[in-house]
Amino acid sequence: MRRLVFTLLLVVVAVVTTGTAQAAGLSLPPLTGRVVDQAGILSSAAEQTLAAELQAHEQSTGQQVVVATVASLDERDIAEYGVELGRAWGIGQKDKNTGAILLVAPNERAVRIEVGYGLEGTLTDATSRLIIENVIRPQFRAGNMEAGIVTGVDAILAVLRGDPDAAPQPPRARAKDPGGFPVITVLIVIFVITRFMGRRRGVWPLVLGAPTVWRGGSRRGGGFGGGGGSFGGGGASGRW
Amino acid sequence: MLVRLLAVFFTVLALAGCDINAVPRLDEEVKASWSQVQNQYQRRADLIPNLVETVKGYAAHESQTLEAVIAARAKATSMQLPENVTQDPEAFRQFQENQAGLTSALARLMVVVEQYPNLKADQQFIALQSQLEGTENRIAVARKDYIATVQRYNTELRTFPGRFVAAVLYPDAKVKETFTASEAAQQAPAVKF
Repeated sequence: MRRLVFTLLLVVVAVVTTGTAQAAGLSLPPLTGRVVDQAGILSSAAEQTLAAELQAHEQSTGQQVVVATVASLDERDIAEYGVELGRAWGIGQKDKNTGAILLVAPNERAVRIEVGYGLEGTLTDATSRLIIENVIRPQFRAGNMEAGIVTGVDAILAVLRGDPDAAPQPPRARAKDPGGFPVITVLIVIFVITRFMGRRRGVWPLVLGAPTVWRGGSRRGGGFGGGGGSFGGGGASGRW
Repeated sequence: MLVRLLAVFFTVLALAGCDINAVPRLDEEVKASWSQVQNQYQRRADLIPNLVETVKGYAAHESQTLEAVIAARAKATSMQLPENVTQDPEAFRQFQENQAGLTSALARLMVVVEQYPNLKADQQFIALQSQLEGTENRIAVARKDYIATVQRYNTELRTFPGRFVAAVLYPDAKVKETFTASEAAQQAPAVKF
């Protein structure tokens, strides 16, 4: 008897899940953090600095910016891939769609700034193009993948913060990020405190930038998850 | 006991698969994604006057290509869309054809522009060109989303139990038109630096 109930339950689960399983046909890298270096072109130091910088940016503005390097675009246009990735990861706050992705495909020599619906007014197509042309591309051409990504992220964040002279300049020397460590410490403290207070839904969104929708797998990667934002094809692409 | 359990099981299964609100809900989704398609095409049309003016400043004697863009834009924007265009095969086909005409006219303009280095260096042109590229991208995304929602809607209308529900509760619901992905129409202007 018990076995029958169990079998029937399994059937129900199977029926219900077939619909959702079909949707995930594409092979996209999992969202393991704010910097997903699938192509392996970033040093771990740069990765950490970038992640801290992006986290600080989300703390102050609520905007989620992530960096993704992919080993392959699977024969797709980088613009198409960017939208798929952004939607699958749900980068940006839900309903506000304030997310952006710097997507780099070194094997296809293609780069794209994918901009969520909510940021299209600030990080316009023209601005994204200028960042790619003037900041990222010269570095990539010279073979400095890491410097291109780091200065590119700086330029994107400067534009998003609304700095008056954020118009992309040619590459500049980059100082060490002094603000990274305290921010991380504060976050760890908050993380530990909230953890001990118990996982109340009310606390988590404040800490992790309103991730109202937890997607599968996102919880493991250092606690970062997409907020459920969506993308509509804004931004610019470039090649080098 | 066993029979009763099975009866409950199948009722639950039938109810789970039989969402009586699916047809109107999907209908609204189709409407929303259709507005997005129109919105993006409109956005492209709005960019064109400025683009044409800027190109004229540098390449005045490419008037034939420019005229073609202006004419294609006029044709696309002058079309009066009927209220139920998504269920009207003729109007839908016409809409798609007009927009495809504008796409290819713009693509030709972008090829011609390649011969004018001064124009390509113009800041305003760069801005307009990146907006145009971005808009072509957004059109592609909006079309894809529209195709996906229409597919869900049409599937609901044509398969059991949605078909049965629609026949009883929503007799007005009709299968909707969708884009045929013609290669030429999908191609965004290829611009290389």
